[in-house]
Amino acid sequence: MEKLDQMRKGTTTLAILKLLVDTGEPMHGYQIAHALESRSRGSFQFKEGLIYPRLHQMEREGLLRSEWEGQRGSRRRKVYLPTAEGQQRLTEELKQWQAFSLSMEQLLGLAG
Amino acid sequence: MTIDDLLNQIQPRLGLEAETEHEVLEEIRGHLEEAVAAAKARGLDEPQALLEAAAAFGVEQATAELHATHAGRGTLEGVAAAALPVIFTLVLRWLIFAPDGTAGAWREMLSQPALIVIAAVVMLVPLLRFPRRRYAIALWIFFWGLSLITAVWPTVRW
Repeated sequence: MEKLDQMRKGTTTLAILKLLVDTGEPMHGYQIAHALESRSRGSFQFKEGLIYPRLHQMEREGLLRSEWEGQRGSRRRKVYLPTAEGQQRLTEELKQWQAFSLSMEQLLGLAG
Repeated sequence: MTIDDLLNQIQPRLGLEAETEHEVLEEIRGHLEEAVAAAKARGLDEPQALLEAAAAFGVEQATAELHATHAGRGTLEGVAAAALPVIFTLVLRWLIFAPDGTAGAWREMLSQPALIVIAAVVMLVPLLRFPRRRYAIALWIFFWGLSLITAVWPTVRW
């Protein structure tokens, strides 16, 4: 269970960064949670509230920055954007992911 | 049940410092409002929509992880925001005031470029680095107030 949690956290970071970079627009937590589910065609499902600890941790690590949209007292949304460090991390992790995926395909005899 | 009722249930589970807690609850409120609006657009009534939104949010698991992510951070940031201005103020004081504690040459020292650079860095670091910048500002006012007293009354020994 702990291993699964760690895998989820690791892959969620990568998935969030990719989504935000691809979208190029600031997004709030609800949008991010639903966009991830939609992009994965439902295979990437998790309790929506779990997106927030991950977003906050990523912000603390300097991968994302956030800002509030809307005025106090009205409908306010905290939106997230990737930082330059986040974009760099995404590039690095995508390379690692591709290398890992390729080597696993070869190992398992799945590569054409 | 309303969104406020749900937030009232979530609040004690978060167990965070007031400022962090307020921001997290604001964010959760926004999430629940979006989820309820989406459920209502699919034809659910308000109570059903809220129940669905709460279930999809995963209150128990999410609050536990939010607590783990933030607990103690506010205190640490507060201590850092408080300690840095104190340290920097002591450095500036050492630069401005004579070793015997008098402030006879403070006017000359204030025009030194090195002092101006240090003072600018000292002012900006706590303001830019820490979300809890009010601690930093309050401490800056307090310690600079003390320094000004020594400048106004240079014969006072510290």
